Amino acid sequence: MNETELDKNQPKRSVGGELVLPALGVLFTLYYFTTIIDSPWTAQVSAFFIGAVLLSLSLVFFIKTGLAIRRGTARLSFDTLFSRLDISSGRLALLVITLSYAILIEWGGFTISTFIFLFLAMTVLNKGNSKGFIAALSAVLSLGGYLLFIFTFETHFPRGPFETFMELVLSNGS
Amino acid sequence: MEVDLAFFAELLAHTLSFWWVIIPTIFLGLIVGAIPGFSAANTIIILLPLTLAMEVEIGLIFMIALYCASRMGAGIPAILVNIPGTAGAAATPLDGYPMTKQGRGQQALAMSFVASTLGGLLTTIIALAAMPMLAEVGYYMHAVEMIVVMLFGISLIATIAAKDTLKGLIAGFLGLMIGSIGSDVVYATPRGTMGFLELYDGIPLIPALVGLFAVSEAFIIIEKSSIITEEGRATMQKPGWGATLEGTFLALSKWWHITWTSLIGLIIGVIPGAGASIASFVAYQQSRAFSKTPELYGTGHPEGLIAPESANNGVTSGTLIPLLILGIPGGATAAIMLVVLQYHGVDFGPSLFFQQPELAYGVFMAMAVTYALMILTILPLSRYMSRVTLVRTVYMAPVIIAFTLVGSFVPREYLFDLYLGLAFGVIGYIARKTGYHVAAILIGVILGPLLETYFLRALKKSEGDLMTLFSSNLGNILWALLAASILLPIFIDRFRKPKPTDAAL
Repeated sequence: MNETELDKNQPKRSVGGELVLPALGVLFTLYYFTTIIDSPWTAQVSAFFIGAVLLSLSLVFFIKTGLAIRRGTARLSFDTLFSRLDISSGRLALLVITLSYAILIEWGGFTISTFIFLFLAMTVLNKGNSKGFIAALSAVLSLGGYLLFIFTFETHFPRGPFETFMELVLSNGS
Repeated sequence: MEVDLAFFAELLAHTLSFWWVIIPTIFLGLIVGAIPGFSAANTIIILLPLTLAMEVEIGLIFMIALYCASRMGAGIPAILVNIPGTAGAAATPLDGYPMTKQGRGQQALAMSFVASTLGGLLTTIIALAAMPMLAEVGYYMHAVEMIVVMLFGISLIATIAAKDTLKGLIAGFLGLMIGSIGSDVVYATPRGTMGFLELYDGIPLIPALVGLFAVSEAFIIIEKSSIITEEGRATMQKPGWGATLEGTFLALSKWWHITWTSLIGLIIGVIPGAGASIASFVAYQQSRAFSKTPELYGTGHPEGLIAPESANNGVTSGTLIPLLILGIPGGATAAIMLVVLQYHGVDFGPSLFFQQPELAYGVFMAMAVTYALMILTILPLSRYMSRVTLVRTVYMAPVIIAFTLVGSFVPREYLFDLYLGLAFGVIGYIARKTGYHVAAILIGVILGPLLETYFLRALKKSEGDLMTLFSSNLGNILWALLAASILLPIFIDRFRKPKPTDAAL
């Protein structure tokens, strides 16, 4: 059996996902170049050097991957990045909840948003089990965060109805 | 006042009498160091009204203790959950986290505490003895020399790339490209900002750190019920002090490694503008380059954990030297200390050592006492801290996401940084799932802008002459050392490998 036949008997490596970062790098580098094309040399010199190296490395990687697909040792699929596991493990749902948290925190403030986020995320990941425990844990953690960061350190965390209410209570409503 | 042994003995006893300030501050420092987004500098700013109201001596001890403890605290989440508390601990998880996954978290923590303490103590003593000489290091380090120092750190990308060179280099250069976002240092021309005003100052480090390490890690760990292996879990569930003692003795047996890597930290710390992140990357790279077992780095190798931890603690004493002798702060925390002490009427410079020697030398004595008390208070806790890794990932992942994402908001108070942390999280997740190293991206993001700044300064000064890079004696020595540190391990490796004919025999 020659080497090519041996290669064909091996399971094909999924390489689609590996192309994502170099592709993003190429797109970003090309965009970056458009922003400095009319700039003074000081703004260009380092970026052109780094960008040129990144483009060259990515090109070599694309050619190498293309050749592997042509040889039959690799296939263009994205299952290393997206698979049914992402839905069954709750990862996709966690991403949606995290994105909603980042949006909600501007209006809901730290404490309420963190409570909702922790409760939803833990419930989804735990397949809906132990809701009572999760609710209590989420409450303790979000209130603990409020006490440590906002009350003790006076950090300028995003403020919402809860923080405003507590500020009024602590200043005796004045 | 005469500065002799009796003076130092009296100063030591006097500093020890402030244990009631130092011990609570150590715990505060450990907490703020462990949370990404918080740092000693931020905390001193937040507590500025309190610091300014304190007596100058107590205020100084408070700031020093907070500074040292936060540096050590940053390594704790880096080891246990792969999340460096600050950029200075970004090289710590490279070997610390694999140890945790193997169920050796307690041992790793003990090693990190011993390495940090010994590194910090040793460099403090050296700083006390050789302060005037060390202060001059800053004078000799110009743009050209700094370029080579940065390249020492960046060459770690090549080390990381050793397993898959092409992917490692793509990750590193992608990081460098992302690090180039923002205005250029000479004409402030905005570059690659995608129209976001928030990016004009460049990529903020905390959202990058949070996203690449914490958020991406949280999305990965949910695939399993625990972050540690089954065998590791079994080991962790056996209660005892054995692992702490083992880690302590293992770190002590590497005393020479701690010594030279902490000296790297001390020297880099003395250079204004350089910092713990550069020191820890350089120390890790050098440690691997001259190791007899470089192939073990990245798999949970004790030396790979000791090197960055002792180096970033070596930086703490280094940054205070230019502050005390020249009045030039070596870093952000030192700059805030300068403001607080000037408020109290303290004048920096060589005269400080004659006029107020108890204050000038007291800074380093406070540091030494803090390190000594820190090891006594924190080492026993490693047994309990490491148990955090037994928490199920369904609970741990959301907590990591919530608290680190909000932490990315803290330094600049822009909600934009929260989204940026999430975007870096997606990049980090793609990188981890497809075999790219997130540390290589982060090195690029951290060191890229610094390298560009020094490179432009050198070129501007020499009116565009590239030969300026080889125009100084110290610079040329550093170039030679850089070349040696990259090439020597390759030659040594080839020399060590048995010849095929020997094997055949």
